[in-house]
Amino acid sequence: MNIRNLELRARVVVEGFWNGIHRSPYHGFSAEFTEYRQYTPDDDPRYLDWKVFARSDRFFVKKFEDETNLRCYLLSDHSRSMDYGSLGYTKAAYASTLAATLAYFLYLQGDAIGLLTFDEQIREYLPARHRTGHLRHLMLALEKPAAGQATDVGAPLKRIVEIVRKRGLIVLISDFLAPLDRLEQNLSALAACGHEVLVVQVLDPAELSFDFKDAAMFQDVESGRVLFIDPRSARREYLRKLEEHREGLRATCQKLGISWQGLATNRPLELALFDFLRERMQQRSKSQRFARPRHMTGKATA
Amino acid sequence: MSFLTPLFLLGFLAVGLPVLFHLIRRTTRERKTFSSLMFLLPSPPRLTQRSRIEHLLLLLLRCLAICCLAFGFARPFLKEAMAPPADSNGKRILLLVDASASMRRANLWPDALAKVDSILRKTTPGDQVALFTFDRQLNPLFGFDQWTGAPVGERAALLARKLAETSPGWGSTQLGNALIQAAEMLAEAGGKTPSQRGRVELITDLQEGSHLEQLQGYEWPKGIEVAIDVLKPRAASNASLQLVSDSDDSDTKSAATVRVRVTNTAGAKREQFKIGWARSDKSGFVGKPIEVYVPAGQSRILALPADPAESLDRILLQGDEEEFDNVIFAIPPATLRLNVIYVGADSETDPKRPLYFLKRAFQETRHQVVGVTAHHSGELLPAPEVQASSLFVLTAALSPESTGAMRDQATAGKTVLVAVSAIDMQQTLRGLLQTDNLKLDEVRPSNYAMLGDLDFRHPIFASFADPRFSDFTKIHFWKYYRLDPTALTGARVLAHFDSGDPALIEIPTGKGRILVLTSGWQPECSQLALSSKFVPMMYSILESSGVPAPLPVQYKVGDVVPLAAFAKSEQLAMTMQFPDGSQCPLGRDETNFTRTDIPGIYALSTPSRQFVVNLDPSESRTAPLPVDELERLGVPVLQKPTDAPLQDAERKRRFQNVELENRQKLWRWFIAGTLVVLLFETWLAGRTARRALEPVSMSAG
Repeated sequence: MNIRNLELRARVVVEGFWNGIHRSPYHGFSAEFTEYRQYTPDDDPRYLDWKVFARSDRFFVKKFEDETNLRCYLLSDHSRSMDYGSLGYTKAAYASTLAATLAYFLYLQGDAIGLLTFDEQIREYLPARHRTGHLRHLMLALEKPAAGQATDVGAPLKRIVEIVRKRGLIVLISDFLAPLDRLEQNLSALAACGHEVLVVQVLDPAELSFDFKDAAMFQDVESGRVLFIDPRSARREYLRKLEEHREGLRATCQKLGISWQGLATNRPLELALFDFLRERMQQRSKSQRFARPRHMTGKATA
Repeated sequence: MSFLTPLFLLGFLAVGLPVLFHLIRRTTRERKTFSSLMFLLPSPPRLTQRSRIEHLLLLLLRCLAICCLAFGFARPFLKEAMAPPADSNGKRILLLVDASASMRRANLWPDALAKVDSILRKTTPGDQVALFTFDRQLNPLFGFDQWTGAPVGERAALLARKLAETSPGWGSTQLGNALIQAAEMLAEAGGKTPSQRGRVELITDLQEGSHLEQLQGYEWPKGIEVAIDVLKPRAASNASLQLVSDSDDSDTKSAATVRVRVTNTAGAKREQFKIGWARSDKSGFVGKPIEVYVPAGQSRILALPADPAESLDRILLQGDEEEFDNVIFAIPPATLRLNVIYVGADSETDPKRPLYFLKRAFQETRHQVVGVTAHHSGELLPAPEVQASSLFVLTAALSPESTGAMRDQATAGKTVLVAVSAIDMQQTLRGLLQTDNLKLDEVRPSNYAMLGDLDFRHPIFASFADPRFSDFTKIHFWKYYRLDPTALTGARVLAHFDSGDPALIEIPTGKGRILVLTSGWQPECSQLALSSKFVPMMYSILESSGVPAPLPVQYKVGDVVPLAAFAKSEQLAMTMQFPDGSQCPLGRDETNFTRTDIPGIYALSTPSRQFVVNLDPSESRTAPLPVDELERLGVPVLQKPTDAPLQDAERKRRFQNVELENRQKLWRWFIAGTLVVLLFETWLAGRTARRALEPVSMSAG
């Protein structure tokens, strides 16, 4: 996290990751044949396989993989609560790096990557593309500082449901320090659309342990509210409530078949990327609905 | 230092607040940002566990400010600066304590002593106090000069000791007299300025029987007030006894009785009493007492039969609540026996002769028995009888020897009444009067003669001086004997006939006198014996002939007993025996006995006579008299309700404190001090806060 340039930081992470797994991502192309289907009227005659017709005198339509390998949308929380960090960098920086890493990683695979940053409302939206310069735009959008006053996960999810018609991968990165009232509804809508959803909850180690020593006036970075807190007396209750919150989120995800990944900002990003991929593999093995990124898993595991 | 509103000193408790605030952990300066407070609840402030107090000077300044503020609001003032200018001269207080018989009731005298003590406690060193008791008269116990002469610290004790040595007597309550004398004493001693005259502190039971009549018409001196402490008796009801005197014409044949009046006070709860003779050893009644029912506020008179065989001298009442007036003393009055010698030639049974009427003129009463001894003109009068008689009545001519003896009696101081009823008495008159020029002429008026000119200044006719009784014209004289009074040396004509001739002539003879009535009283001569004037005239002649009057034997406590009534001054010295058994010689020159201080029987030796002294009946009227009665008589009464003196004193003290505090205004200094301390505290606190913030700002930068 000491590299200031987000793109460079993401590249370092991804290249280190590849080195680690001894596989090169610079092979192949995802425009592969999938199946033959008998020609029916109104089919596009361009996809008739004339060689098969020549051999068997029957019309077969040749079906290929989609034009793009994968449509991945990164949903990054840019609220002020993400602007907290006790390790010299903030949760927002960690989350941006994670998003950039994923974007770079997928970009290298030729997948289309889109971005949606949000706080209490949607701030930036980049449609999923794979073209030159898109990654740079994406990095610039990720580098914008967190300025939102609150966190509303519902709004971007709702928006994604509206925008993204094709099934794809949705990676939601946030601290989720907000009420989870309508989260389940929005996540279920997303899952119902056939998207593969990955929820990453990023929390600071201080938030997870609350190991402050002296009592102080604690100020909420989002609302500005100030409370006198004595950590010795408040820690127990805080940890209990935090655990309840996380458990609630995890239970919701599990209920909807969504991957949940909790990350502390002191965890190295390479391991986080590894966790991401492992989680995806497990997810794929659980559900055959999402067999689409065959190229990715095949290459990754190859 | 004193405080006007000392409750504000409770503000000192607020000193604990700065200490408390100092000990509460101050964390507001340290701020920490956190991602979200949604899982956090505010912690309550708690005391720091550090025992060390930081910023001790600041703490002291804040405590000092609170102390100054509390002092200021308590409005302090310095008491030693207070000087009572009004009381610096002191007051003159004359304590007038009732020591009459009614104060002998159960609790009154101790209450009076307590009252005096309480008054003495309130006096200031500048005051002058005198103590007087009173019953019939004012008795000085402790004068103003004794007060001022005594050491300051011992004055009250000396005065109280004087009062403790005395006790209530048996006298009646002459409150009016006592008040007048006390007021005049204060007015004389106080000078011309009314404000310096002083106050009379009257301590009394103020009973109904207090005599206030002297106050009527008395002009009360200005500047003298009377503060009355009315003592409340525990028992309000009282019954009393009073002797009722017999009339002179009481039937001597009936059994001897003593009449007593039993009076019950209004509002009394007891109405049934026992009355009877008692012994002097207080062993109770002798015989069976009489039970009498007397309703409250009424009186009954009852006759107690006196048994001459028993020497009983007191009557006891039982059944009421107060004992002091339940005994009265009574002795039967001594019967005065007098002798009149009649010398005549008639029989006492002949209703036409003078002796018949003379005998009937002197009736026997319980107090006086007049014996008329008749002798014929030729008889020799027995010497003892002559010695015992003081009046000689002549109605017939005497022999020359008898005439000389009769004149000797007159010369010795006795009275000889000559009623001329015959012309042959001329010689006897000449012998008696020792004159040869005397000539009697019988006069028989054509119709009748009347008494015309009487000397009512003479003791014989003095009792007729009233116009109702001075009409003698209804007495007709048929016959009289004219004589020339000018022929008689020193003769005084006491009555004339309407013709101008003398009717009654008084001729002094030696120590005695000779009375010549120029007519007789028998019907042959006149209607005098048949008239209503005859009996009183004869008694007047008898009494004016040196016969002692019936002695009164009932006196009240404090009465003056005239000794002259008992014995002649030239007799031997007398001794008076008091009821308590003590004796006291009386000087020859003493004419009055005044020491009738206690009720009882007083015995006088040589001659042996007794008289009783009883309590004044007015003392038994113990119902309380309203204080308004004194005000009505012009006495400026200073009202003294029970709690008022304390309240007044408290109010006065508070007022003085307010005045003093207003003058000194020490609270201003304390408030100013508070402001100074607060300013310094503010500066110091600001300076301390700046120093504390410096490292924070540096670290923030």
